[in-house]
Amino acid sequence: MIRRKGLHLYLLGLLILSIGCVPKPKITLSPGLPEDLPGCYAIFPTGPWESVHRIEATLRGGASSSLLGVTKSEPSERRLQSILLTPEGFILFDAERRESEISVRKAVAPFDSPAFARGLMEDVSLLFLPPQVKPRTWRKETDGTMICNWEDPDDTQIEIRGSTGSSWRILRRNKQGEVIKEVVLNGPFVNGLASRVELRAFKPASYKLRMTLVQPSP
Amino acid sequence: MLEESRMKKFFFLSVLVATANLWAAAALSNDWTSLKEASRNIRTVKGEFLQKRYLQILTKPIHSEGRLFFYTPDFLRWEYLSPLRSVILQKGSIIQVYNFSEGVWKPEMAQAVEARRMVFAEISQWFQGRFDESKPFKHVFSPGPPARVTMVPGEGINRFIHRIEIVLSVRPGVIDRVEIEESGNSRTLIEFRNVEINSSFSSEVFEKP
Repeated sequence: MIRRKGLHLYLLGLLILSIGCVPKPKITLSPGLPEDLPGCYAIFPTGPWESVHRIEATLRGGASSSLLGVTKSEPSERRLQSILLTPEGFILFDAERRESEISVRKAVAPFDSPAFARGLMEDVSLLFLPPQVKPRTWRKETDGTMICNWEDPDDTQIEIRGSTGSSWRILRRNKQGEVIKEVVLNGPFVNGLASRVELRAFKPASYKLRMTLVQPSP
Repeated sequence: MLEESRMKKFFFLSVLVATANLWAAAALSNDWTSLKEASRNIRTVKGEFLQKRYLQILTKPIHSEGRLFFYTPDFLRWEYLSPLRSVILQKGSIIQVYNFSEGVWKPEMAQAVEARRMVFAEISQWFQGRFDESKPFKHVFSPGPPARVTMVPGEGINRFIHRIEIVLSVRPGVIDRVEIEESGNSRTLIEFRNVEINSSFSSEVFEKP
């Protein structure tokens, strides 16, 4: 019951569009060439960084909200801090993730449920931190497109495809192979961060986040 | 030579008169009663603002720009032009919030609107010099210069806001800047500029985004 309530608040707190679960064929690859492996990490910033994003979130039914998102990361320690603010600068949510541990410093309703914190930090990690393990398979196409597949310890799978100079796509699949989250990153990349990001979540909650980089700092 | 001497005298007198005017205005706003009196004559306020949001985790503050329209006693349009386009419309007890997204104005979720109610009720009071009518804050007036009103939060709110400093302009009834000190070493600075008192504008600014 608590879990359901948390999920409901997560839906309210973020913002979404119902798009339905779009089936995307899974690509079978074999381990790639070692020299191509760095290409799998091209979209993830390496050194310490901080950023400010404009976030437009849309929930099922069209309810929407605009927020400012502040993120700071130390990738070598797999540490991320995320703050959500209203346009007026009120802090609605402030949490940090170190490895898999999440500590919430501040959370105002409806952003105060554990499910919201978990969901938000999962999204931020998906966007900015590479999976902890080495890709299971990867391949570089003749046109330079990288396709990389990871299997996370939690049995989800992550697929990244794209190339420098074009957009990149991140797909997260559940155990059944269904796409549960899809991220499109569009350049130009500034200090390793995409200028525009769109995240669509399909399961268990359906929502859409459009993020525009407004203030990058190394 | 005579002309130069006249010019110097004129310049000197101008500076003297201007300084005397500033002192007179400052003396006026330094006095709490005079401040209240000046504020009573305010019917409308129109201006622009620059907001700097300092957070402990950010090297540089977040800069936001916007504009405001106020009509006494409780009509307010508080609009952000960048980096987010967002507008808060207050008409009495009714508050509406709209965000500009995907080319259209979209209403904000109800919960997020409620969270702003108290804040904008406070701002409306500040523009009328009614600092002493705040329920969640106690006020302390310092004659300065610059004259300032410190708003000290009561139990509960003080977990998030330590204090609010409202720095007054030498122009009676005009606020120069507001500094909000929060927990976690973060603060917000709002600087007002091009402020017009009792100028005319269409009531439509309070009607639609």
